[in-house]
Amino acid sequence: MYKVAVSGINAIDNPGPGLGVIKGIREENLDTMIVGLAYDAMEPGVYMDWIIDKVYLMPYPSEGERVYLNRLLYIKENFGLDVIIPTLDTELPLLIDLSDQLKSYGISSFLPTKEQFKLRSKEKLPALSKEAHIKTPKTVTVTSLEDLSRAIQDFTFPVMIKGLFYKAYKAYNLQEANHYFCSIANEWGLPILLQEVISGEEINVVGVGDGEGGHFGLLAIKKLWITSLGKIWTGVTIHNDNLIKTTERFLQITKWRGAFEFECIIKNEEIFLIEINPRFPAWIYFSVGVGINLPGRLLKAALNLDPYGDSFYEAGKLYIRYTEDFVTDIDNFQKLIIRGER
Amino acid sequence: MKINRLAISEEGFIFDPETGNSFTTNSTGLTILKYLKEGMSIEKIASKIAQEYEIEEEEALKDILDFIEQLRIYGIFQE
Repeated sequence: MYKVAVSGINAIDNPGPGLGVIKGIREENLDTMIVGLAYDAMEPGVYMDWIIDKVYLMPYPSEGERVYLNRLLYIKENFGLDVIIPTLDTELPLLIDLSDQLKSYGISSFLPTKEQFKLRSKEKLPALSKEAHIKTPKTVTVTSLEDLSRAIQDFTFPVMIKGLFYKAYKAYNLQEANHYFCSIANEWGLPILLQEVISGEEINVVGVGDGEGGHFGLLAIKKLWITSLGKIWTGVTIHNDNLIKTTERFLQITKWRGAFEFECIIKNEEIFLIEINPRFPAWIYFSVGVGINLPGRLLKAALNLDPYGDSFYEAGKLYIRYTEDFVTDIDNFQKLIIRGER
Repeated sequence: MKINRLAISEEGFIFDPETGNSFTTNSTGLTILKYLKEGMSIEKIASKIAQEYEIEEEEALKDILDFIEQLRIYGIFQE
């Protein structure tokens, strides 16, 4: 019996990847119990006891390593914990830092290294792309409104204004660009990236790097329908050799370890790399549904079991996300509020 | 050839597995696509369509060229 902790069980309008990861693990032929890691008692996954066996409220990563580690060790001692699969951007730097320590306590993970995590930052992406022969939109780093006004003269509107790791807005004039610059700088700090807008087909690849330049499986999709928050609600599987070769080149260069999502735009047969997310996307169950159980393979890798499998899937399979509702008792809410677990 | 990769249903639904784009066409479009996939020349297709629909070959050719231009715009036809 393996006890596996998964975060991101906030299946709301901005859905976390946790439930998709858990559904994948459930479909893998392994004897597991799932521990849901929640940051709020209202996260829907807290109440989904048919797929999540035990739930713990977690401290925010911003509270520091010691507090977070102690909480995980508490779970290990009281329930048991063999593997942790973080799925949220904000958890990754902390858990990457803690991974050796956690391993010494018998809690495994399969995460990118600190260097790999930094490589995919939007600031370093152009250099990485050059090495991998992938195009990226023209990007300039700016650290003040004066910088922005100067640099923007070499662009045509609209432009993208982006934080180094999080947030991206399309600005149609200088006023909007200034507004988004301040908004992102206030929330996430400097520098800010000014980026050319590439219009084309938005396509993504999801996979798990083996840490040696290969992978345990890849899936390419096109977004068909996204919400105002940019979340995929409908997608379709595609076969694009150029995209897969590009992804494989990226894996060879970085020796990426763990889950990743490659966000690209195809324009006139040319591929532009927009972003690399160092985790599974919220639509990860798509991979499970087409026969490439990436969460299951990642779990096996963390457990030192054989995670390799083929990457065969049919093009033209549709992913449909829908909302669901159910009624439950207030007891579980009460337990979580009072005890921090259910 | 790009057109060979397309999945085309008998009802006129076209799916491009490389880009994920899908399109619909009518029975005439379907016939033209079928001939193009077989590698038939545009002139030959015009002649066949003209016979089938009892129209002038010149008129058929004009419509086929228009249709092919649409395919080009959608990125599913390249000579």
